[in-house]
Amino acid sequence: MNHAVLVAKNLGRRKLRTALMLIAIFIAFLLFAALEAFLHGINAGESNSAANRLVSVNKINFTVPLPISYLERIKGVKGVVHALPQSWFGGYFQDPKNVLFMFAVDPAEYVNVYPNTSMPPGQNEAWINDRIGLAVGRVTAEKYGWKVGQHIPVSSNIFSRADGSHTWEFNIDAIFSTPDANREGLVLMSHKYFDDTVTFAKDTTSMIVFTTSSVALNDSIEKTIDGMFANSPYETSTDTAAAFNKQFTSQLGNLTLIITLVVSTAFAAILLIVGNTMMMSVRERTREIGVLKTLGFSGPVISMQVLAESLLLSLIGALLGLGFAAGALSAARKALEGFNIIGVNVTVPILAAGVGLAVLLGLVTGAVPAWAGLRLKIVAALGRH
Amino acid sequence: MGSTTRQAFAIADMNVRSIPQRFWMSLSTVVAIALVVTVLLAFLAMANGLSQSQKNAGSPDIAILMRDGAGSEINSVVTREQGMLIEEAPGVARADGKPLVSGELYIVVDGKARSTGLSANLPLRGLSEQGLALRHGVHITEGRMLRPGTNEIVVGRGVVREFLGFEVGKTLRFGQSSWTVVGIFEDGGTVRESELWADVGVVQSAFNRLNAFQTFRARLNSPGDIVALKRYNDADPRLKLSVQTEAEYFGEQAKASRGILILGWILAIVMSIGALAGALNTMYSSVAARGREIATLRAIGFGGFATFVGTLVEALILALAGGIVGVLAATLIFHGFTAKTLGSNFTQIVFTFRVTPALTVTALVLALSVGLVGGLLPAWRAARLPIVGGLGDE
Amino acid sequence: MAEFSFQLKKVSKRFIKGKDTITIFDNLDLDIPAQDYVAIMGPSGSGKTTLLNVLGGIDRITSGEIQFDGKRVDKLDEGQLSRWRAANIGFIFQFYNLMPVLTAAQNVELPLLLTKLSSRERRRNVETALQLVGLADRAKHYPREMSGGQQQRVAIARAIVSDPKVLLCDEPTGDLDRATADEVLDILALLNKQHGKTVIVVTHDPEAARHAKRTLHLNKGVFVERTALA
Repeated sequence: MNHAVLVAKNLGRRKLRTALMLIAIFIAFLLFAALEAFLHGINAGESNSAANRLVSVNKINFTVPLPISYLERIKGVKGVVHALPQSWFGGYFQDPKNVLFMFAVDPAEYVNVYPNTSMPPGQNEAWINDRIGLAVGRVTAEKYGWKVGQHIPVSSNIFSRADGSHTWEFNIDAIFSTPDANREGLVLMSHKYFDDTVTFAKDTTSMIVFTTSSVALNDSIEKTIDGMFANSPYETSTDTAAAFNKQFTSQLGNLTLIITLVVSTAFAAILLIVGNTMMMSVRERTREIGVLKTLGFSGPVISMQVLAESLLLSLIGALLGLGFAAGALSAARKALEGFNIIGVNVTVPILAAGVGLAVLLGLVTGAVPAWAGLRLKIVAALGRH
Repeated sequence: MGSTTRQAFAIADMNVRSIPQRFWMSLSTVVAIALVVTVLLAFLAMANGLSQSQKNAGSPDIAILMRDGAGSEINSVVTREQGMLIEEAPGVARADGKPLVSGELYIVVDGKARSTGLSANLPLRGLSEQGLALRHGVHITEGRMLRPGTNEIVVGRGVVREFLGFEVGKTLRFGQSSWTVVGIFEDGGTVRESELWADVGVVQSAFNRLNAFQTFRARLNSPGDIVALKRYNDADPRLKLSVQTEAEYFGEQAKASRGILILGWILAIVMSIGALAGALNTMYSSVAARGREIATLRAIGFGGFATFVGTLVEALILALAGGIVGVLAATLIFHGFTAKTLGSNFTQIVFTFRVTPALTVTALVLALSVGLVGGLLPAWRAARLPIVGGLGDE
Repeated sequence: MAEFSFQLKKVSKRFIKGKDTITIFDNLDLDIPAQDYVAIMGPSGSGKTTLLNVLGGIDRITSGEIQFDGKRVDKLDEGQLSRWRAANIGFIFQFYNLMPVLTAAQNVELPLLLTKLSSRERRRNVETALQLVGLADRAKHYPREMSGGQQQRVAIARAIVSDPKVLLCDEPTGDLDRATADEVLDILALLNKQHGKTVIVVTHDPEAARHAKRTLHLNKGVFVERTALA
């Protein structure tokens, strides 16, 4: 036996009570990890956008298109390196419910503008050289079981073809993966194919996405481009891709605040419950603490034991909760991706934050009882029957 | 019966009176349950407000026609020719011989949110003269209605509340076009209050969408006439549109609130488990702390059942206290709170949190359930405490 | 080894209760030679437990001097007292005061956690102590599985496991029946005669007094000594 065993034994004093505490702590950390993971998924777009990637959209709103002629003019601006048109196609696969996040882009430039896109060797070239080729994100490919070489139809409820039909035929040439969870579900077609075949929206693009040679030039390039098109029938608004993505999350209505509030209330409740129980537990042991002091255990040693106890309780509960959340979300990843919810992961930073919180919780719940144990007078402790 | 009830009352009374002795423990349980109730009510109120704003927006006697499979207005395209066919359809109501049909175009524009200063999407709806008549319950509360053929705009109350620069008299610029706000309309808090309205012809020319509409709305002579309209639509190969009553359409759109509802319940239940652990803990300690008291009562002759009930009552009282505190907190903090979120058309819906009596009851039921489950086992233990052992030293 | 285990010189213990000052003892002198076995008896409230507490350093005196092995101990701070107590004093209480969550062996091992002994050395000392009190076969039992007498013997084992010079016992037989009490007293006598420990017992039990070498009667803070018969 040693000090550690003593601490553990004290926790096992009333097994039911300790179990209840663990459950409460487990719940609090489960909530924390799950909600933070959810937030991580939502904010993925922001954090994953390279700082030198910018987007130009119609100043009125991004749902209003820009003339395709703007592409060359933007390319001509000093500091702009690679640029591509990106138009929302938004089709569906077989059933209107199978909505696809589909864009028409310039395949030759895609990897240049979005460098953290990886494809197996040869697939990028195949896609670039195939007019009716598709590059599909790993998540969507897995969802529908698509393989390279497959021939699939995609229909649109926005666009129609000259012959009146709403269906386009494609070859799947590439399946790409990327750390940017937002893009791993995309389906990409050739903008030329799009432009040649649609009946309206010809010679337009939803947005122009481009890279700059240096982040320091971002501001001046934005001003130049917006200035070029000011007072024209199609004015632009240019901003970093990160800022552009942020508008979606900000429009979800301050989710961060809500989640923080929920997690905080959960923790506040747990703090009260566990703190009180620790206090009660130490009070029950008054006589024992007195005896330990007569044996020569000093006040500081006793407080350390109490703190160790509350820390152990807190850490065990926290690790269980964090681990369960991580495991459950990992197991549910496929199911979530089916609903187009991606990037909901319990990341290492979240785990680290959780452990930090657990330590804090342990210290706070143990502080008052530890202090009580420290200051306990032996004579008073022994006298209490 | 009388004796047991009296005993139960007496024990319950003693238990509750002794709560101050276990003040902090009891308080922590009350607070935990209060927090669960607050969180649940917040989400319920949110879902309720969101669905209210959408449900009431739809009338059963207005038909809405869109391109088949469009799902929502922003994805739809309907031509002027199709509109003319609709005007001739059976079941369509007429006023002064003119069909009450409104072709509408929906453009997404930007507005600056008051709270964050960030841009958000707002719907600019171009409607025809009949458009206003097709919307029951809408009335202008400030300024006046727009004049057709001009660049005048009327703005929903929700927009004015949540976004900057939409007051009467203000000028708005979208792209190259200028618009003047001449009035503010209200519609009982429905989703329509999140819109901007203008003349459809003017919108079409301002945004280069000549002859293109997204939806057509038609007033039906009676709700049942939707069937005749659907048959007419299916029979004509030039139409083949999706035909629904507005009530049906908005019912579909209200799915977002279901998601919030589910999320709210999941959170509440998870938190309840934690609160339950706390409640159990409190009750077990209560029983343990009063072991001698309980044993004495049993020795005197108080029955086991009365002890059981008395202890359970203590748990329920704590839970009820927590529930009431939670309801009060939620009502004070959330009720009437205006919020906005992304709707299905990629535009903002402004809605109000609503804590209703029905929701309050739901939340209290949850609180009492936690109290019941948390008190059951400890009450059982209290009822079965061995009399002899309990009287001895701890 | 010094001649005296304890020397109390003009020791007073007073405390203030509301407006009154209560004096437990005043200007008390007491010499306890090394290897003495002394019983302290007296009515309730005579201060005998306080005397024991003061000797063991778990209560402070108001004035005077306490010497242990020729060195002053009344002015040590809490930390020093803890260490001194761990090294030199073994306590035995009326209600055993064992930790219910630990086995007999683990209870006995507790004082050794404060030393630098290795785990193996600790185990050896525990075995020796338990053997001495005749409970080696009960090492893995919990207090709730043992009788009162057995628990008290475990407590004694715990008190002697770090080989202290002095044993302070507060009503060690108070909760035991006659036969068990005698067993416990025999062990105390053994510890005194064969292991040279100074044993100071506060008691109501006349049998306990008979096991001692001498008896002190304390009444209202003043001593009367009566030597043991034969």
